[in-house]
Parts: sequence; structure tokens; C-alpha cells
Amino acid sequence: MSTDSREGAQPLEGLGLVGGSPSMPIGAELGIGALDGPKPRSQWQLFRSRFLKHRLAVFSLVLLILLIFACFAANLVAPFPANQQDLAVGAVGPNAHHWLGTDELGRDMLSEILYAGRTSLRIGLTVAFLSTLLGTVVGAISGYFGKWADQGLMRLTDLFLVIPQLVVLAIAIQGFGSTQVVIALSLAALFWMGEARVVRGQVLALREREFVEAARSIGASPMRVVFRHIIPNCLGPILVGATLGVAGAILTESALSYLGFGVQLPATSWGNLLSSARGYVGTPQAYLIYFPGLMILITVLAVNFLGDGLRDALDPYGSNG
Amino acid sequence: MKLRKYVVTTVALFALLSMSLAACGSNGSNGTAAADGTLVVGADQEPECLDWIATCGGTSWGSWAALVTTLPQAYFSHASSGSSAAYVYEPSPLLAGEATVAPGDKQIITYKLNPAAVWSDGVAITSTDFKYTFDQIMSGNDIYDTTGYANIESVATPDPTTVVVSYKERFAGWKGLFGSGYGIMPSHLLEGKNRNALMKDGYTFSGGPWKLDGGKSGWKKGVSISLVPNENYWGTKATIKKVVFRFITDTSALFQAFKAGEVDFLYPQPQPDWFPAVKGGIDGATIKATADTSSVEALWLNNSKPPFDNESVRKAIAYSLDRDAIVKRLFGPLGVNKAWQSFNPPIVAAYADPAGFSGYTLDLAKVAELMSSQGYAKGSDGYWAKDGTKLSFSLKTTVGNKRRELTAQILQAAFKTAGFEMKIKTQDAGVLFGKTGPSGDFEMTLYAQVATGPEPGNCAIFCSVNIPTEANGGSGNNWTRTNVAGLDELLAKVDIETDTVQRISDSKQADLLTGLSATSIPLDPLPNTLIFRNSIRGPVADNATMGAFWNMNLWTLKG
Amino acid sequence: MIQFLSRRIIYSIVVLLLASIVAFVGTRIAFDPTARLAQVRDKQVRERERERLGLDKPVAVQYAKWVGNFARGDMGTSEVTRQPVSTMLASGLGYTMQLMLWAVILSIIAAIAIGVYSAVRQYSAGDYIFTTISFIGISIPPFWFAFIAIQFFVFQLMAWLNLSQPIFYFVGLHSTGGSGFNIDYLQHLFLPVLVLTVQNIAGWSRYQRASMLDTLNSDYIRTARAKGVPRRQVIMRHALRNALIPVVTVMALDIGLLFGGLVITEQIFSIPGMGRIFVQAITNGDAAVLTSWTVVAAFFVLLFNLIADLAYGWLDPRVRVA
Repeated sequence: MSTDSREGAQPLEGLGLVGGSPSMPIGAELGIGALDGPKPRSQWQLFRSRFLKHRLAVFSLVLLILLIFACFAANLVAPFPANQQDLAVGAVGPNAHHWLGTDELGRDMLSEILYAGRTSLRIGLTVAFLSTLLGTVVGAISGYFGKWADQGLMRLTDLFLVIPQLVVLAIAIQGFGSTQVVIALSLAALFWMGEARVVRGQVLALREREFVEAARSIGASPMRVVFRHIIPNCLGPILVGATLGVAGAILTESALSYLGFGVQLPATSWGNLLSSARGYVGTPQAYLIYFPGLMILITVLAVNFLGDGLRDALDPYGSNG
Repeated sequence: MKLRKYVVTTVALFALLSMSLAACGSNGSNGTAAADGTLVVGADQEPECLDWIATCGGTSWGSWAALVTTLPQAYFSHASSGSSAAYVYEPSPLLAGEATVAPGDKQIITYKLNPAAVWSDGVAITSTDFKYTFDQIMSGNDIYDTTGYANIESVATPDPTTVVVSYKERFAGWKGLFGSGYGIMPSHLLEGKNRNALMKDGYTFSGGPWKLDGGKSGWKKGVSISLVPNENYWGTKATIKKVVFRFITDTSALFQAFKAGEVDFLYPQPQPDWFPAVKGGIDGATIKATADTSSVEALWLNNSKPPFDNESVRKAIAYSLDRDAIVKRLFGPLGVNKAWQSFNPPIVAAYADPAGFSGYTLDLAKVAELMSSQGYAKGSDGYWAKDGTKLSFSLKTTVGNKRRELTAQILQAAFKTAGFEMKIKTQDAGVLFGKTGPSGDFEMTLYAQVATGPEPGNCAIFCSVNIPTEANGGSGNNWTRTNVAGLDELLAKVDIETDTVQRISDSKQADLLTGLSATSIPLDPLPNTLIFRNSIRGPVADNATMGAFWNMNLWTLKG
Repeated sequence: MIQFLSRRIIYSIVVLLLASIVAFVGTRIAFDPTARLAQVRDKQVRERERERLGLDKPVAVQYAKWVGNFARGDMGTSEVTRQPVSTMLASGLGYTMQLMLWAVILSIIAAIAIGVYSAVRQYSAGDYIFTTISFIGISIPPFWFAFIAIQFFVFQLMAWLNLSQPIFYFVGLHSTGGSGFNIDYLQHLFLPVLVLTVQNIAGWSRYQRASMLDTLNSDYIRTARAKGVPRRQVIMRHALRNALIPVVTVMALDIGLLFGGLVITEQIFSIPGMGRIFVQAITNGDAAVLTSWTVVAAFFVLLFNLIADLAYGWLDPRVRVA
């Protein structure tokens, strides 16, 4: 579908020659994570100082925190209560009283957007968490145990990459109802493959390292080796993947709403605010299309910048040289 | 340079391929009707097939655009010329006059065909075609609707212009047979052949004022259906050179396409998202909206399940709503401001008695009185409660229908004011009509009841014998489980009574009964709207039963 | 090479089979093709339809029948429109290919040009502008972008230039009755292609830039520059060629996915391609169409994966097929 995030572009590994698509970060150069100071510092300090230098990423993080706060505390922040209709007002453009105007039911757009943001952000964060968890587990098992486990899991990954996302989504949502839980779960089921690939690669690389050998030799169980020794050492790529997952989930949910499979009224999300405003293209109420879309754009943009900053900070010798 | 050569070659190859895919051809015509004598209609639905009697033939746009324009029907139904909203049946040009009803208990109808009536190949339309059509409807295993035809015992053809139809069971709606969604098919072309295969993708023959432009090629799948005049039509011949129905499946794109001049005529579903677009009028276009239609959108209450098994609660619900204000909010921009007070739609207004429902207006004192009488008291949260349980119900309606979503939200606010908590649940239409309704798994639903012709009668949805039960295989249509003493007899009579005066009286009494016990609550007739450029002249008006294009042969384009 | 290909093909067939099971069984369980007949007054119609479609049989039996026909080259008949599925898909592919070809050509040219420019002029104002634009490009919801594009390129343009007809159209690929390759076609093509290319240009140009930077910083390029080879020639002949290797791979993979990405674009612009066929099949619960559709879409992903592998091997002589 048209919202496939960049993660989508991955070669199938089954018999493939290409070991993995070049994992070059998009715009990794925006913030220049230069190293300075010879002082020995802890990993965390290094990370923090590098991240803080990536000004756009820091700004994005602040923006996202504000956004999350504004949406989840909408009952305190929003100028009007949720779904408060004023039929006498109807749809009016942005003004001093209603900063982003009102919709056909006279509801304040700013308030509606903040309330809708709860759903969008909740879905984005849940999907990112679930898909990261799933991807990490699959990738770790696959990479650490190798052999048939690896074969089986990677073929499963291929299958998920090959079947068009929309087919799975439409069937799952139709079959189990378009509740937010179902939407989040089925989106999570489509976003773990990238994470699994990345973690598997990392695990494969780390598996033979000395500290892992050491852990193994003192009799640590495979589970312990993987989750205590290996996973903490590839938290960086996992975190970056999770960030991108948030972006992908928010975008895909909005696309689902356009096709009528997304979050259903009376619950609102940015996606369904947008899709219910689509009739206003070419009318004086076009502002009803601008704002929800702009919110999605700003959020996803901030998430992408953040992911970029994290990547730079975690991987100073990034593959982009 | 090697690389550049590759790039150039590849690009050139791609471009060439693309051009050949697009094939060589001609510039199309754009909008503004009359420029070249073509009328372009924007359609928001594409027919599934053009074999009208098959299950794929039941789409409304198919029927409006290609059925009534190309196949003859026994009767036409349209608004009566008087001021009344009621629709009347009129013999179509296919008949030599009114069909005759034989006296006696057995229902026998004799049609006399117009001897001038011919198919587009010049062969006369005869009684054999009626018989062929009937046989196809009754013998096929893939038939859309056999209602009424199943009551027929035999179709006799004493001579080419006489058809005698004998019924084994009386059927009051007989004028809607051999028409209304179906058309007469040419036996001389189809007899002994695979009808479905010959018709489904388009056909060359015609017995109406129009024919598909080039037969099968007149339907460009996914793009358009084109009609040209049938030169051999025996009635008034069409003057517009060509009519193209373009499929624009994104409803809101329809209006944008009209504004951008890509289409000249719209006949859209009443959805609030485009109302603002027509509010101030559109330059050079006429907007004609009418509430005299065949559909009634209503709040359907489950009479067999709490809380609406209690008549007083049903009435209290009815008194909680200012239905006129809701209708005005929904359809005000189209000039429709009044709630409809019957389950018989406006096209059968003569059979409706508004007295039953018009008494229910917004009256919170009355709500309080009714609720208190049933032992309810308002809790601190402002909602009615009884024995510590809050009265809460859910409204189920179809998913993805903006008008219904809007209606539901308005209702939710109104009910909250009156002290009722209403939750909104949207369901896929297939689930709502296929499962929820039949199984009675709802308290309140919102959808429209659509009449297929100007026929009154609601026995199917309100007679207690039609409550879905295990005994009748769950097939009854009385999903609201309405069971009002005396209603069954009246409604059953309406279905078979052929004496109009008696039928009107019975129907009105039944209406009054449903209203007084507030079995369900009618909201509004769904308005139909025509939006067209002023260059289109003639009797352009809605026909709630046959669609707006039935008399297109009388239209002209001012060039 | 032949061994590689044959293994690859066998594997692909297995994946396609699994995909078809997911699609067929899923559709059958989740959708009811008779649901659209629920409000017909003749209550027996749904039963007749169920019988006609054989819905009373177990799903496995229905699937076996479908796959048996498919193996014999018969994609079956749509359960709703009664058309042969192969005819429908062929017609859909015709439209979809037109969009895809133009979108791909333009994306490739624009992405490579932007990527090379940004890399050569790293940290210039132009680089920053392109970087920002690409970030917006990958973050923008595509259907919202389509609405905005229609709003501005159609309506605002008409208003500003005081036109009675738009410059760019948003319904179909031709005006009424039009066909062929002409101005009218391009006027219709512009907006959907624009919507389809934005994401790809944004993504690919970033890859191109990063890959180009990698190459420009490599030893052999420095050597070439040191030897006095003109800058332009170094960039175009030596650096670009090597920088393209990873980019071409990514592009091929993305093109395979683009196929499924046409759904929303085609829906918005009323183009009767594969995307519209998908939406209709889902709406109607038409398992026969949906399953073949999925197989075709999956086939494209697999095909472009193969192309990506081959391109990689072809462009980079160091990689040789085992």
C-alpha cells in the first residue's frame, strides 16, 4: 500500500544474493554528530552529548512530548469538550474563538484534533511497541539458534513481506471487527519484519563475540545469553526501528480510514477526521482537510527526525561514512 | 558514455511501452454539455453486470442508466401530475392501454401490446417475449428477485399482441411486474441461448429509446457506459446524440468533477459532505432536490428486548427528539425541513396517515412523566435509572455512511439532554442486514426502508407472522419484532386488496396503529437530488422509482 | 546460474501458494459475498446465491477447486461480475502499468538527479532544501497529499488563472470518450503520478545521496581526482556508476511494492486499475478475484526481488552468482 514505510523495501532473504538492503539512514547528515573531547566518558554520556547536538532531533523530541501531553491531557488542554456540537455555528473558518475553525456540526477543530490525536498516538505507540517486541524475539531466536529455526522464521518473514499489507489488514479487520485493538494488532503483525531482520543481523554478528562466548562457557542458558547479553548490545537499532514503526503505524492507520477500514466513529483519529473531510476539497471549507493532515505530517516528521537523531547518536561510525 | 546510454535506452523503452499501452487514439470531450452533443453523467456506482434478472443485475445505477433506457417495461411509475407527492402507474408505450383485470376471485390480468412496438432490429415485440421473460425469471438458478412472479400460475399468449397472466395467489402489486427493475427480453434473440452470457457484459438489442453504443463495447469496464439513440424506437425518439455515464466511485470526487467541468449531470446519494458545495448554488447549474422519494430513514426499535419492549419508554424516546430540527440539520441545505411521519414513503403518501407520529415532538416534561410512570428516576449523572441500573442502549448503523454517522452523533447529543445514554456502534451493511437484524441483536438501529415501486404495505416488516423464528427459518423481515394487536390483519389486507379506496383506508388505519404505539420512529424521507448544467432542457426531474433518466429521450441540449 | 534461478522459482511458487491460501481462506471467513443481497425483498435470493457459489461446501474444498483451476491456467470467474478473473486483472494491469511506468521513470530520474546534486554539493543550501523536502515527502500521508494536490492544482489554479476548465484532471486517465497518447492523457496522468512519485523520490534520493557520498569519499575516486581526471567525468563516469549499485537494488525492491501501493491513488483518481479491482473485490467478498489479485501482487514483489538480485550481480562484478 502506498504508506509502506521505507522499511518495506527489503529483499527476501530466501536464496537471495543481496545480504540486506543498504541500511543507509535517510538524511543522517542533518545533525552532525561529530565526536569531540578526548575525555573518557560513559556510553550514556557519549550518546547524550551526541544526541543533544542533533538539534532537529532534540526539537522533535520536545515537540513530540508536548504533542503527547496535549493529546492525552486533552480534557485539560483542549479549549472545548470532546464532540461538543453547536449546530447554530456550523462550519466556520479559523477565527479568534476557534483557532482551527469548526466542522459541519460546529465542533471546535482544535479540540477534536487533540482528542483524535489520542487514538492516533495510542495506535502508533502500541504498534511500535508490539511490532518491536515481536520483531526482536523473532530476530533473536532466528539469529541465535540458526538452522531450522532461522530457516522457518525467515521464510515466514518473507511470506509477510510478499502478501500485500492491505489484503491482510482488510481481512483481519473485517473478520475481527474494526476495533482499535484489532487495528493495532493487525498493524503490529505487519511491521515486525524489518525489526526481525535487523535484530537477526546484529545477533549473528554478536553471537561469536568474546563476551558471549564467555557467558556461554560459564553455563548461561541460551535464553539468558540472548536476552541479557546480546539484546542489550543491539538496543540502538531496535530503538531506531521502533521509532520508525510509530511513523509507519500512524500513516497506515490514516490510509485505512480513507478506505473505510480504520477507526470507526464515534471514536476519532486523525485519519478518520481527514477522511470525513474529504468532501471539502475545492470548497471554502478546505481548512477541514488541512489541519488533521498537517497533524499527521508534523507528528510523523518529528518521529522521523527523532529516529534519525537516535541513529546518529547510537552509531557514530554509521554506514554512511 | 556507457552509463548514460543505458539510462537513455531504458527511459526511451519505458516511454515507448507506456505510449503503446495508452494506444493511439483521440482527444476526449470535456464537460460543458452540448459542446459536441454529448451528455456526461457522473455515476458513483458501476453496475456489476447488465443481465438484469441475475443476482449481479440488481444495482441501482445499472437499472437507472442502462435498463430503463434500453428494455421495454409494461408499466412506468412516476410522480402524478397533481400536487400530491404520490406516484402513479401508467401504461408504458409498450402497451396499447391499461391492462384489464378479469372480474372474479382469481386474479387474471390481460395486457394488450402496442402493435408498433419493435426491437431495434425491427422485429415486433410480442407476447412471446413476455412469456420468455417470465420463464427465465422462474427457471433460472441465479435470479435476483422472484417476488410476485412466484404468485403467477401461467403466462398465456393467445396472439402476438395479447398476454394473459393468471395468478395462483393474489398479488396487489402486479403493475410492478414485467418492469420495475426488470425489463422484457427479446425471445427471438435469446431463446435457447445462454441469456446470462449474452447480456451480462452488454447487449446489442434494444426495446427502449436508447441502445448501448456498439453493444458490448458501449460498456467500458471501470470507465463508462455510453448510450446512443435507438433509431427504431417507436415512441418519441431521443435527440441527444450520446449519453455517457462515467464511473466516479469516490463520492466526493463527483462534485469536484462537476465543478471542474468533467461531468454535466449528477444524481448523488444524499450525503452531507457535499451539501456545502451546493449551498450557495453552482454557476450555470440547476439543483433540484425533492423529498418525495421511496425511502424512509428511521430509528428501528427492538420491541422484544429491554428497554424498548416497554411502550412508555419507546414513547419517551419519541418525545426526546425534535425530529424536524434533526431533518433540517441534515437536509436543510437541500430545502428539506420536515420529518416524515409514516413508514409508507412519500411516493405512497396517499396511503399514509401522519396523525400517528406527528404528535411526537420534543417535550421533555412528557419524557419525565412517561419515565417516572415506569419507575425510572434521574441519577446524579443526569441519566434515567431504575433499581440502580442506568438506562443505556446502543444504536447500530451501517459503517462508512457519513449521513448516518452524522445523524447518530446528533441523536446522541439529543438523547443525552433527555437523559438517555446512547452508544454508537457501526457495522458492515452485510452484518447489520444479514445478522443483527434477523437475530434481533440490537436495541435501536438506523437505516432506510426502500420501496421498490409505488406500492404501500409494511406487512413484511411489521406483521407478527414475519418475526424471524426458528419455525420460519429466521427468514422473516420483521426485525423489530413488532407485534401490535390488530395490525397484522390490516397490513395483510393491504398486500392483496385490489380495490384502491379500501386499500387506502386499511393502510391509513395500520399507520395510525404503528404511530400510536411508537413501534419504531420514522425520521426522514431520503431526498433525491439532481444537479445539472442549465444547457440540459426538457422534463428533467427525479423519478424515485425508475431513476432520473427514464425520460431522457425527451431531453434536449441547448448547443 | 540456472540452479540459482530454478531454486528461486520453486521457492517463489511455494510462497505464492501460501499467499493464495491466506487470501482465499481469509476472504471466505471474513467476507460474505451474499451480504450485498441482504436487503432484497426476495428472502430466498441469498440461499440461491450461496448454492450457486458453492458456499455451503467446506472452505478447503472451495480452495482446492480454485487452486486446481488456477494450476490449469484458469483464474476462475468473478463471483460477482461473472467476468473471467483473468480478463479483469488484465484490464486492471493495463491501467496500473501506465501509472507505474510513468511514476517509476520520473522517480528514478528525479531521485538520481537530486541525490547526485545533494552529494556533490553537500551542506549547500540546495542540499538542505532537498533534504527537508525529502523528509516531508516520506512523512506525508499519500492520500492527504492527493487531496491537497487536487485542491491546489485543480481548484486554486482555476481560481487564480480564472479558467473554466482545469489544467490537470483527477478523474480517470482520459476525458469522456478520449483514448490514446495525447495532451489530454498527460493532463490526467499528472496528478496521480505526482502522488505516486513523491514518496519514492524522497526515499530514493536519500539513498542516492548517501551512496554517492560513500563513493566520492572512497580511495579510488580520490586517486582519479589526484590523477587529474576532470571533476565532471569523475562524478558521472566513475562515482555515479558505483553509487548506483545499492540504489538500483533498493529501487527494484520498492517497485515491487509500489504495485500494492496503487490502491489509494487509483481510488481517489477513479482509475480502474488493480487497486480499484482490489477495493471492489474486498467490498463484495469476491474471493476468486481477491486470491488471484494477491497472487499477482505477490508475484510482482518476488519478480522485483529477483531483478534486484540480478541487477546487483550485474552491476557489481565482485558478486558472482553461485
